[in-house]
Amino acid sequence: MSRPVSSWVAETLAILLKEWRGELRTRYALNTVALFAVTTLVVVSINLGPLGVSRAALPVLPVVLWLILLFAASAGLPRSFVHEEEIHTAAALRLAATPSALYCGKMLYNLSLIYLLELLVAPLYLMLLELAVAEPVTFVAALAAGGFGLAAGSTLIAAMVAQARIKATLFAVLAFPVLLPLLVFAVQLTLGAVAGDPKNGLVELLILYDGTLLVAGLMLFPVIWNP
Amino acid sequence: MSHRTAGEDEIDVSTTRKALLWFLWLWIAAVTVIGAGFSPLAQGFAGLQGDSPLSSRIVYFHVPVAIASFIAFVAAGVTSVRYLRRREPRFDRSSRAAIELGLLFGVLATVTGAVWAKVQWGAYWNWDPRQTSIVLALVYYGAYLTLRDAIEDPETRARIAAAYGALGLIVAPFLYFVMPRMASFSLHPKPASAEMASPILGLVLAGTAGQVALFAWIHNLRCRQLALDERRGARPEEDEP
Amino acid sequence: MDPTLPQTSLAFDRLTRGYGRLMVVREASGAVAAGQVLLITGTNGSGKSTLLRCLAGLMAPQAGTIACTVAGRRLDVAARRRAIGYVAPDLGLYPELTCIENLTFFGRLRGLPPARGAALLDRLGLPPKRLAGALSSGMLQRLRWAWALLHRPPILLLDEPLQNLDAPGRRDVLELFEQHLERGLAVVASPDSLELPRVASRLELGR
Repeated sequence: MSRPVSSWVAETLAILLKEWRGELRTRYALNTVALFAVTTLVVVSINLGPLGVSRAALPVLPVVLWLILLFAASAGLPRSFVHEEEIHTAAALRLAATPSALYCGKMLYNLSLIYLLELLVAPLYLMLLELAVAEPVTFVAALAAGGFGLAAGSTLIAAMVAQARIKATLFAVLAFPVLLPLLVFAVQLTLGAVAGDPKNGLVELLILYDGTLLVAGLMLFPVIWNP
Repeated sequence: MSHRTAGEDEIDVSTTRKALLWFLWLWIAAVTVIGAGFSPLAQGFAGLQGDSPLSSRIVYFHVPVAIASFIAFVAAGVTSVRYLRRREPRFDRSSRAAIELGLLFGVLATVTGAVWAKVQWGAYWNWDPRQTSIVLALVYYGAYLTLRDAIEDPETRARIAAAYGALGLIVAPFLYFVMPRMASFSLHPKPASAEMASPILGLVLAGTAGQVALFAWIHNLRCRQLALDERRGARPEEDEP
Repeated sequence: MDPTLPQTSLAFDRLTRGYGRLMVVREASGAVAAGQVLLITGTNGSGKSTLLRCLAGLMAPQAGTIACTVAGRRLDVAARRRAIGYVAPDLGLYPELTCIENLTFFGRLRGLPPARGAALLDRLGLPPKRLAGALSSGMLQRLRWAWALLHRPPILLLDEPLQNLDAPGRRDVLELFEQHLERGLAVVASPDSLELPRVASRLELGR
């Protein structure tokens, strides 16, 4: 039953396209994520901005940036699978889609959502808090690799949570211990990028964790998704 | 096979079990007594006030329960994978029991560690890398139990919990081995470089053997209890009167 | 080719499935071959839908076996899922997508040309550009039929397939149903006996 790779890619793209088409009509995730991000951004910049604290608090700022990203993402990402259960389309998908293609399609959708979020939040954050980045390339690498792991992990946990009760709370409980190593690596790398002395091997470590989460997702998703 | 009457055979088995259990208790008691009263004191544990390094003797409990907790979590990960392969409920019960016990041993390790840390380092909690790792592991496996409670259908519950348990096996190396190395220093001695006198090391290993055997014994009891619960639950529900 | 060997068949043996303590389906057995219909009847709560979900691979039975053969090939559960057309009251389609977008999406997952969905919508009298969320319950039921027949599945599993349909709707879907039976088989679940063609066997669930 090995289906050709091209049809697997077509399935993945069909799912990505379907997610975005539905999202652009309802704007549920976009609105939630953007509003959450902007609100926290405003609160943070009022209190930690140039007028708020002394420059001694500088090392805290990358941590706060990642917290904003994490919480904004966890407000929007679980929806990818929770929504399918809520509108009872999960059965139709189970009968029609290849599980690994479904995971990849949903993961790519979540990834695009996170990159959009980072595109919105990161420049605003640097501007509002007057945070200068010594190594912009490393900074972007941290955002890209951290966002990838966030998407891969969240997609997997969302698939688990969708089949349980108390979905929203449970997502945070299950996802945070899984995402925490990722977050620690990403924060360390961002700190290094801002200060101009990133530790050796952090980018590799971050990419290793991304790869681990992606492989774990591809391996575990089929058994999570199908009875 | 027909119903067996209580023959010599069965009495023999249970006597062996009892003997083994007594041996286990004696073993743990011996390690505790020797460790607490007669072991040589470890160097470099004089404490902040320069007291005698008596407090270091908690090592014969602290390290064994920490290792037992780690072994329990690894065992739970392995049985989770086996459940996903074979879909037999006994593997589900086994990983659940192992995680419950891993949490119990983990809490014991954390508490004994905190007490020791207060004496040695002056504070119950320092976010030392190893403290961070064990707290993350406790949160992770606490979440596992929450996940179980949130799924009603037994088949779905077993399947998704097993996936989370298996994911733990993948995440654990990062929690236990990579994250602690991220920190520039650790208050915990490195196991390899610790200058432990060989009697101390021997006692720690003996204590570990005792705690792991204790884990195996309670785990076996808990699995049997869960199996009984399930069998009682699987009886068809009577119609309401 | 041996004509006595059915090319396409679905058989299940002593299937059992419950929810927690409650046993819903107890040792249900049945078999059906191409060109035939198996009609499952039973009161509400007798386990018809649960049995169908097990057959569809949407739920794992606790005990019992399912054997599925399509065109002489034994299918595993993953292949069986893709070989099934399924109509059920709890089968949802995307309310934020139009009828044709829904069918095009599922057609893409299955590698079908988009014209197939358009033809089915036309045949069942559905407005292609209306949002699925804006359909009446009868129209939604027609869309479910269109979804189930989209990939010309060899096996149809139908749970209360005629609910909410008006007279022309029933006529349309029954015509398509008869066309399907020329190649494939069907298992139909309904609380009361339905007037269906080619009912080869019946299974009464419940006590």
